[in-house]
Amino acid sequence: MSEHSLAEFEAADFINRTHKPIPRSYGDALLKAAQADERIVCLTADLATPTETDIFRDTLPERFHNVGIAEANMIGLASGMARTGEIPFVHTFCAFATKRCFDQITMQAAYPNLPIKIVGFLPGVATLLGVSHQAIEDVALMRSVPNMLVLDPSSSAYHAAAVEAALAHDGPVYLRLKRPETPPAQDIVAKSFTAGKGIVAREGRDATIVAAGLSVSHALAGAETLAGEGNDVGVIDMQSIKPIDADLITYAARSTGAIVTAENHSIIGGLGSAVAEVLVEAGIGLPFRRVGLPDSFAEGGSTDYLFKKYNLDDAAIADAVRAVLARKGS
Amino acid sequence: MTRNLAELEEIAMRLRLRVLEMVAPTGQGYVQQGLGAADIFTALYFSEVRQKPKDPSWPDRDRIFLTTAHNTAIFYAAQAERGYFDTEQLKTYVQDGSTLEINSSERMGQFVEATCGSLGQGLSVALGTALAAKRQGRPTRCYVVMGDGEMQEGQVWEALMCAGAWGVDNLCVILDFNEMQCEGHMDKVMTLRPVIDKLEAFGFATHDIDGNDLGALLDALDAARETRGKPTFINANTLVGKGVKVLEGLLAHQLVFPPELSSKAIAEIREQMA
Repeated sequence: MSEHSLAEFEAADFINRTHKPIPRSYGDALLKAAQADERIVCLTADLATPTETDIFRDTLPERFHNVGIAEANMIGLASGMARTGEIPFVHTFCAFATKRCFDQITMQAAYPNLPIKIVGFLPGVATLLGVSHQAIEDVALMRSVPNMLVLDPSSSAYHAAAVEAALAHDGPVYLRLKRPETPPAQDIVAKSFTAGKGIVAREGRDATIVAAGLSVSHALAGAETLAGEGNDVGVIDMQSIKPIDADLITYAARSTGAIVTAENHSIIGGLGSAVAEVLVEAGIGLPFRRVGLPDSFAEGGSTDYLFKKYNLDDAAIADAVRAVLARKGS
Repeated sequence: MTRNLAELEEIAMRLRLRVLEMVAPTGQGYVQQGLGAADIFTALYFSEVRQKPKDPSWPDRDRIFLTTAHNTAIFYAAQAERGYFDTEQLKTYVQDGSTLEINSSERMGQFVEATCGSLGQGLSVALGTALAAKRQGRPTRCYVVMGDGEMQEGQVWEALMCAGAWGVDNLCVILDFNEMQCEGHMDKVMTLRPVIDKLEAFGFATHDIDGNDLGALLDALDAARETRGKPTFINANTLVGKGVKVLEGLLAHQLVFPPELSSKAIAEIREQMA
């Protein structure tokens, strides 16, 4: 590691107890998109480095606006800019990007169906910063907004694709991102995804885990544990929470007969609710469990600690799968 | 478009008549506010702004944002008279299925620049529009008609701080200072005074005028257009119910207009027009 600026260390500490500088993935992808499309502008509510937009600020300053700590105004500014032919990407932490300016998002971005891309960082329980900064209701809120797309990529390998998917939708998008904590491998292959489509991350015959965001890696680890016990469990990476891939969910339900959802969010209103809605409306009754924050708030802590404490980790997911397998067998 | 005061006075009176005629059939709509703000809308739509009603999406147009989106009787009357839609359509005001809802929304068309029924949001949208227009090198100016009660919303001050700090001089805020909000006199609910001091402190060029004086309105708008490096704030002190003696100064935000009163008011305006 070469020398790094203090700003990088500060940003690192927002997320977990580490002094490692955090690499950038989303920020580079956004800059590249903006260099190719003059309409793209970047707004932040005084959080440039933690939202990876420092590179945009330094490279395209005439299209960068730090609006100060004023999220409601930021959404309104973005609305005016979008109405004048620009494509604004607005940035802050997930908790503030959604809860603090929900009315503004509905009236000034979603109702006029403007191409405003709301980009939140610190999804779910992903920070030391405490209950105020944990975004455990953001997906439920954004999912309820007409015209809104909700994308929750499972790793930084998808960030460039997420920027493209957000641009491909001619309307508002909520992008829920987690900064990578380790530098991506030099030969990393940027992965792609399509709004409305889930990805089969692991095939399996006995049960299916439908996961999103940070929970996908835990779901894969849980499936690996279960394989050691003789259970063949599949994992779907549901990066597109709205629109959701109903075909893939019903196929998985019919072919494996048991579903567990796993999300870094409240179990109310998020991925688990969305999957349940699909299953019930398709007339599919089956053993089903949701892994997520129970109806409770979350304290601050390192991500690993919080995933364990709130039963979101691979062990908790494996337990939930064992429970549905037991019901399926009985 | 005209700068002739006599012509503008005539238009303002015609808009007042429209307001009364629109509200009369159901009693629903904001009569007091509409009569009070008639001169502001006359000055903007018939003298100040560069728009093309036949091409409402003209990218270089000046924008008018009504952030107190409920004050629609006067808003729609001005737009119809200006040629954005047929004045016959005004008869559908607040009827089921009509796009002429009490709170205006952009489903009306491009000439409703934003949907502002939720108070305190429109100024931010206007500011974003002004910034984008500047970056794109457009001559666009953005005019925002706000209410004094609305200034109690926190987001307004976020936007004012931003506009002042960044010196957004193609933005002009016109405060329809009519002293009335739902629960009565603004001073009794939560006073905004001293409003000029506040806006000066926020970095605006300010004007404190009689908002029912068309000459004063045109002068302030002229000065705003010439101002560089600062946004403009025009405190337009208006009289609710202006033009109808029995209504003038009557604080009644959610007045359901009684039929006998509306015919009297209409007669009084017609008399002044004759």
